[in-house]
Amino acid sequence: MRPSRRTYLLIWITICLAAVCGCGPRKTPARSKVVTLQFWNGFSGPDGTTMERIVRRFNSEHPDIKVRMQIIPWGTYYDKVTLGLAYGGAPDVFVLHCDALPRYADSSSLSGLDDLVAKGGLSEGDFMPRPWQACHWKGKQYAIPLDCHPQGLYYNVDLFKKAGIVDEHGNARPPANLKEFLADAKKLTVDTNGDGTPDQWGFVFTWLRTNYVTVLSQYGGSLLSKDSRESTLNTPQARAALDLMTDFVGKYKIAPRPEGQDAWIGFQTGKVAMALEGIYMLSSLEQQKNLHFAGAPCPMFGKQRGAWANSHFLVMPAKLSAEKRRAGWTFIKYLSDNSLEWAKGGQVPVRKSILASPAFRQLPVQYEFSKQLPYVQYVPASISINQVLPFADAAVEAALCGIKAADEALAEADRRTREVLARE
Amino acid sequence: MKSRNQTLAAAFFLLPYATVFLVFVLAPVVYGFYISLHKWYILAPRPEFIGLRNYRMVLGDDLFRLAMLRTAFFVVMVVPAGNALSLLLAVGLNQNFRGTAFYKVAYYLPVVMSVSVVAILWRWLYSTEFGLLNHYLGQASGAMHHVLPKVFPASWKTEWLNNPRTAMPAIALLSVWWGAGGNMLIYLAGLKNIPRQLLEAAEIDGASPIKRFWAVTWPLLRPTTLFCVVMSVISSSQVFGQTYILTGGGPYYSTLTVILYMYQQGFGQYQLGYAAAVGYLLFAAVLVFTLIQFRLLRVKQ
Amino acid sequence: MMIGALVMLVPVVWMFSTSLKPESAVLDANPKWIPNPITLEHFYRLFTQAQDFPVLRWLANSVFVACSVTLLVLIVTSTAAYAFSRLKFPGRDVLFMVVIATMMIPGQVNLIPVFLIVQKLGWFNSYFGLIVPCIAGAFGVFLLRQFFLSVPVELEEAAFVDGAGLFTIYWRVVLPLAKPALATLAIFTFIGAWNDFVWPMIVTSDISMRTLPVGVMIFQGRYVTEYGATMATAAICSVPTIIAFMIFQKRITEGIAMTGIKG
Repeated sequence: MRPSRRTYLLIWITICLAAVCGCGPRKTPARSKVVTLQFWNGFSGPDGTTMERIVRRFNSEHPDIKVRMQIIPWGTYYDKVTLGLAYGGAPDVFVLHCDALPRYADSSSLSGLDDLVAKGGLSEGDFMPRPWQACHWKGKQYAIPLDCHPQGLYYNVDLFKKAGIVDEHGNARPPANLKEFLADAKKLTVDTNGDGTPDQWGFVFTWLRTNYVTVLSQYGGSLLSKDSRESTLNTPQARAALDLMTDFVGKYKIAPRPEGQDAWIGFQTGKVAMALEGIYMLSSLEQQKNLHFAGAPCPMFGKQRGAWANSHFLVMPAKLSAEKRRAGWTFIKYLSDNSLEWAKGGQVPVRKSILASPAFRQLPVQYEFSKQLPYVQYVPASISINQVLPFADAAVEAALCGIKAADEALAEADRRTREVLARE
Repeated sequence: MKSRNQTLAAAFFLLPYATVFLVFVLAPVVYGFYISLHKWYILAPRPEFIGLRNYRMVLGDDLFRLAMLRTAFFVVMVVPAGNALSLLLAVGLNQNFRGTAFYKVAYYLPVVMSVSVVAILWRWLYSTEFGLLNHYLGQASGAMHHVLPKVFPASWKTEWLNNPRTAMPAIALLSVWWGAGGNMLIYLAGLKNIPRQLLEAAEIDGASPIKRFWAVTWPLLRPTTLFCVVMSVISSSQVFGQTYILTGGGPYYSTLTVILYMYQQGFGQYQLGYAAAVGYLLFAAVLVFTLIQFRLLRVKQ
Repeated sequence: MMIGALVMLVPVVWMFSTSLKPESAVLDANPKWIPNPITLEHFYRLFTQAQDFPVLRWLANSVFVACSVTLLVLIVTSTAAYAFSRLKFPGRDVLFMVVIATMMIPGQVNLIPVFLIVQKLGWFNSYFGLIVPCIAGAFGVFLLRQFFLSVPVELEEAAFVDGAGLFTIYWRVVLPLAKPALATLAIFTFIGAWNDFVWPMIVTSDISMRTLPVGVMIFQGRYVTEYGATMATAAICSVPTIIAFMIFQKRITEGIAMTGIKG
């Protein structure tokens, strides 16, 4: 009996060990002449199709590099990227939104690109300054901007013409400042059946966060101080910006309360005359039949021009073999050089040469929105921005829906932001 | 000789369980505490030891305090109501009549469903336009509307999960529905343990059913009640699934529970040290509360 | 009594009813209880719409994981319970108390450390990660030990006299007698493992490795307003446990009675 018991024990231990050892992360395949690059992004829908096309062309033009693209929906994208960087399985080239850069750069997860930029191929002079600057963190460069997607004014051309808001050629004339905006919106808010609720709205709030950042930047304010160390949510500028937005709903009655419903559908179906949204919404409008719309820079509500924007950055992880890094740089350069193609899908390129090209001017909405590039406002660069943004969102939403007074809402968001920043 | 054999044999028998238990149950308790003593962003090259600073920051965290309040609110709504319902159902089942098996199955059925199933089912029930709840409330209210138009509206269109005032009670209600069957079976077992003679003696003495319950059943049920209440508090204080799936903590943080906050900090922001501290503070609070309960409910023998 | 049963059952019936209705009939201001016509279109769609929502894969995962957990739990806790109940060794009672004490720890507190441990082992997004951390529950040890203690010692002593080793006694004598308790533990474990939501969500990020409860949430996250389809996923997730429950309901009531008595 005794030997068999010991045998059982040995067998059992062997099984346990085998189980533990046999399940480590898979080893990478052996090197061959072709360098394979794993490229991750979140571009679903038409964006994805456009990118696929560009990648396919790159692969055919570069026989020594093979790019394998993986599209992960943005909802789970950052989780996968973070876990991949932390525990293995990270991609070789991937996309980051501008606001995500700080926390990845700060934790030394990204490859610094200063040496590659110095070697040539992409020069600072050909890039719009703000997106280029945003690729830096603590003095070092970690990314190349692929595009910028600013917010702009979408307006319904038919409704404008019907209301008589036209220029001398009979084309719809979008508002350029607050006075014009309010006047236009008032004319465009119509209650056709007299039941007290307008059936057509002059304006509608879509993504509250971006709307607020736009207005706030035009008032000279920001969510955080310049060094991102302090909250500036409880400043006169912040309050004034929020008050203006609540006035759209309450005082001027040109926009409905942003409660629940998908406000963008209102614009898509021609029931709303104006909306402030990002350039990436373009494809959802182009598919709408019978919708005649146009784009324009955001009206100047405050004392200076400003518009919310985000960007897609191209980055590489810190732990990358020299060979893959070189190949990755070639790929990144290629994507940037082809950003006109990328822009056709509903983005704004950031290469000065491309922006000035006649081909780009053929894209009317992108061209209009690109006029804002000199003064676009990204959300503050901070490793805690992901925690701060929901506070601001909640405050804006509470104020606009009448749940809380604007002052109180901002004070609360300010307090919570300070706590988060203190934890850094 | 025999005991040495037995110890070796015991080691053999215990080895598989002990391995898994050590690695996945015991070690995490200690490791988790260790994590909570560090500033630990998942991508940081090296976690930084900061002692109890995380705990100090959590205690000063506005959202943590809010989450504790919301969780306490949830526990207060769910535990008494849930246990009362379970006890009621158990008492009903205890009276032997035909078809107890059917009722037992019916009452326990919700328990065998996953939290995500229960959550989305109730989201459908709570739907403003097409949910059953608003529909029947609307019918009842509509009927009364003719009688008292000022008090009862003609239709009922509450946005249960979108309104900060009703969101948490709505989640509490579905949680009670979900869990009542579980405790009911325990109460039933406890009821069946009460000696028949005592109840019969009370009946002979002329006590009414209600009096019999309070004088005989309720005191003898105390250990069961203690067990159920304690376990209910422990489990309901950890509420996560329903709030995560249905509201994500909103609207306006009205359904933010502590474990949800811990999840957001740990798996959303990947601030592992901070999140661990949140979890351990909840653990400590529940532990203290459990001890208090033991004191309170055990004092009268 | 009737009202209670109604309240409990009504939502469940409604779930099935909705899942069998054609989409056009789902959003009805006057809800009807009996679907007319009864249609399986939602189920059909779920099983064929595999790209983003691999329902069949989720179902397979759930079956594999729940069965594995159940089997492993039976093996692992029965041996441990046997040790705690029949064998004498130093520290036995103290160790047992430790195990029982862990029943009081809020399980969610362990999420973060276990997650890190699983990552270190390389078990993230793997069946090992889904299964192994779930088998060390204290409930099973407790339940089985109770049961083993009630088995008459004479049977074992007789076998021992006959020359049987401890393992043979365990395997041939005690375990067959414990069939009822094992069945109880099996059904509890199965239902618990099948319905587990938080841990499978945390330990997997690949959509093809997820289990049904997580899948249900993912599906409704994207198709919130398509109630016909979401109710269908919910139905698929619930049917196995409901059926298992109906078959084994006696075991369950007995099992809970045993925990309750000790408490």
